[in-house]
Amino acid sequence: MAINDNRKETVRAKPAEKFNFFHDERVRSVFYQILTALAVGWVAWFLISNTSDNLEKRGLSFGLGFLDVVAPFDPDFKLISFAVGEDTYSRIFLIGILNTLYVSFLAIVGTTFLGFFVGIMRLSKNWLIANVSLAYVEIIRNIPLLIQIIFWYSVIYAVLPRIKQSLDLSLGAELVLLNIRGLYVPWPIAGGLLWMTFVALAIAAIAACIYRKWAQKRQDNTGQNIPTFLPIVAMIIILPGLVFLMTGSPLTWDIPKIDGFNFTGGASLPRAFIALLAALIIYHSAYLAEAVRAGVLSVNKGQTEAALASGLRQNQVLRMVVIPQAMPAIVPPMISLWMNVVKNSSLATAIGYADLVAVYMQTSLNTAGHAVEIVGMTMGFYMVVSLTISFLLNIYNKRVQLVER
Amino acid sequence: MEYVRTKDTPTRKPPLNESSLLGWLKINLFDTLFSSVLTILVLIAIFFAVKSLWIWGISDGVWIAETRRECFKINIDGACWAGVIAWLDNIFYGRYPREELWRINLGGLLLILWMLPLWLPRVRGKIFVGLSVVALYPFLAGYLFSGGEKGIFMQVMITAAIVGLAVNVANAVTGYFNRGSLSSFILRKIGKSDAPEKQQRNILLAILLIAFVAVFVWQMGWVVENVTWTKWGGLFLTFVIAGIGIASALPGGIILALGRRSKLPVVSVLSTAFIELFRSVPLITVLFMATTMFPLFVPEGFVLNKLVQVIIAVCLFNACYIAEIVRAGLQAIPKGQYEGAHTIGLGYWGAMGLIIMPQALKHMIPNIVGSFIGLLKDTTLVSIIGLFDILNILRAISKDTPWIGLHKEPLVFGAILFFIICFAMSKYSRHLEAKLATGHKN
Repeated sequence: MAINDNRKETVRAKPAEKFNFFHDERVRSVFYQILTALAVGWVAWFLISNTSDNLEKRGLSFGLGFLDVVAPFDPDFKLISFAVGEDTYSRIFLIGILNTLYVSFLAIVGTTFLGFFVGIMRLSKNWLIANVSLAYVEIIRNIPLLIQIIFWYSVIYAVLPRIKQSLDLSLGAELVLLNIRGLYVPWPIAGGLLWMTFVALAIAAIAACIYRKWAQKRQDNTGQNIPTFLPIVAMIIILPGLVFLMTGSPLTWDIPKIDGFNFTGGASLPRAFIALLAALIIYHSAYLAEAVRAGVLSVNKGQTEAALASGLRQNQVLRMVVIPQAMPAIVPPMISLWMNVVKNSSLATAIGYADLVAVYMQTSLNTAGHAVEIVGMTMGFYMVVSLTISFLLNIYNKRVQLVER
Repeated sequence: MEYVRTKDTPTRKPPLNESSLLGWLKINLFDTLFSSVLTILVLIAIFFAVKSLWIWGISDGVWIAETRRECFKINIDGACWAGVIAWLDNIFYGRYPREELWRINLGGLLLILWMLPLWLPRVRGKIFVGLSVVALYPFLAGYLFSGGEKGIFMQVMITAAIVGLAVNVANAVTGYFNRGSLSSFILRKIGKSDAPEKQQRNILLAILLIAFVAVFVWQMGWVVENVTWTKWGGLFLTFVIAGIGIASALPGGIILALGRRSKLPVVSVLSTAFIELFRSVPLITVLFMATTMFPLFVPEGFVLNKLVQVIIAVCLFNACYIAEIVRAGLQAIPKGQYEGAHTIGLGYWGAMGLIIMPQALKHMIPNIVGSFIGLLKDTTLVSIIGLFDILNILRAISKDTPWIGLHKEPLVFGAILFFIICFAMSKYSRHLEAKLATGHKN
């Protein structure tokens, strides 16, 4: 009897599938989404209508036509030529992008080297060295980047000599000169047949890849360890070098010379550029050092011990066991740090290096107006860079996962 | 064929005792030849660096002088700290009227007083402390700092803030001296601690209402002089911007993070787009956008001052960064926690508020504080668009006639100041993390 009663109750307790309009999950979900879309749409409409009203009232137009207008100023630093009074805002945009990418690229290379160096120092068994790099990391990370940039900028001004007393970094050869204006270096001028050297370099690189694959396969099959490092270096240096000499050394150097109060010839890196580069490298290397340290520490200690027990030497343990396992933990933060370098290079505008923000978002915006378009284009550039970098990161993550499993 | 060992194997030397000084030195500094050489080289480098810094900053530094020229006369090689000292008020308060400085100091003190219960043991209702400081303190401080005529809304909010502060302090006092929470203490004093719950609530509400009315009447006669935002500056302005940014970034970030993880496609796509937009561009471009495009966004006749524009930009920017941190925290919560929360009958908001979010936030404390430190450091960027925050004041010293050309010392001072603040914050976050840790770490 009791059992029967129980069964009856369970049957009764099961609710009938009744469609209740106000309590149905799907209805609610659609309702909330429509509500959100309406709210966001209303805000967007409000902003856009206000903007167009305001533009109209101020007699401004919207459009990219201003890009064809001649820009009335000359950027301080440029990698491509710029003729004042002839070239347009579109060229200014290009110059800004190139300057940003230039300083970011050098800063990324420098950051990566210095960051790995400091990070490995941080793991040193030597107490003093580990703590010196800890102090470096803590001090650098807790001081705003902008203060550091301005600090280096003014220190360079206070420390470096005037033009006549330029420091000669090439030990008397007067090739690399450093003074209050910046760094002056010889600049290569390509001759007619230089392209052949590049072709040779490409061929050498491909050959080196093939050689490495072959050596790997051979080792897998026979266990014989074939040296790869030296042959590859030799290949990459000797083949292009031979071609370079055979085509008659088609490369000359434009050497900087003091000419009155100024320099002629060569390439120059202005003071602002050097200060910005130094500050970016120092600042971000502290963050990278932490990422490197965390990555290496994330490798289980047993891995090292097992590798040592199986007879590998200390440097082999690092190269074959620790680093391959640490890299998947180091690379993602490192790549997002690279992205930060690109973004933070925009602080150049505080010391007057002509990066994209300074030259386009500040000077061009002041002379040409068109705030909406200029802000949009500048942000668009950074978004493209960011999307590219995160795309690369995703590819890397996928590859690492495949290797792992 | 048995082998019997007749001689003992030679005894090995005992391992170096790491607790003795010599043993420690041997192991940690002079382990190998290479390590010894490095140690000595680094020691020499540290010695010279510290020595030259000491000479420049302390032993040859000039502390009392009228002008930079005088500094040079006293000692040309040393740092001219006199310039920094002469500008100290400006560095901290900007161009705020000197006779009104007590308002800033009072505002700071009230904030400390308000937050203090968070660190006291035995005090109940710490969540109320945190919420009230975020929701009410800005009104009180905002009026203290800017002054002028109060609208009716401001009057109500200021009253609420003062009452909130008073309740907080009283609650902290009763809690700290082992008298329980403020409400139970009052009920006990008037002998109603056994009364039904409804009656207790009514009594407390009545007391609160009386306090509210009394404070409201009192504050009507309380007016402070108007100080426009253009006179705000220095470290004070930096703290105002960073403070509002921090207070609003966390709720904004949580909302955005929940939006991004939402199952509703429209909500999640919009949140994702918003977050990614702000995260992929540098802060300085957002600030430029705020100052050049916000005036176009608002209807004509409605003027947003530059400070408000900047604060909105900073809040939006940081909310997106916090959102990603919160999202990472949410992802780290095991699925069982969600399922468990739903099993005991909690809905979406109940599960989030009571089970998931507390764990996620606790996991992410170091990252969140790290982000706040980043925000404080990034606040210096407002100097580029012309607000007189601490960095701009520090740079202005070199343009002041008596101290013309004094670049390095103010920057070093600012760097030290930021280092102390940020370092303390990061150390505290680590302490907090260790204190709140309940997980099973091995």
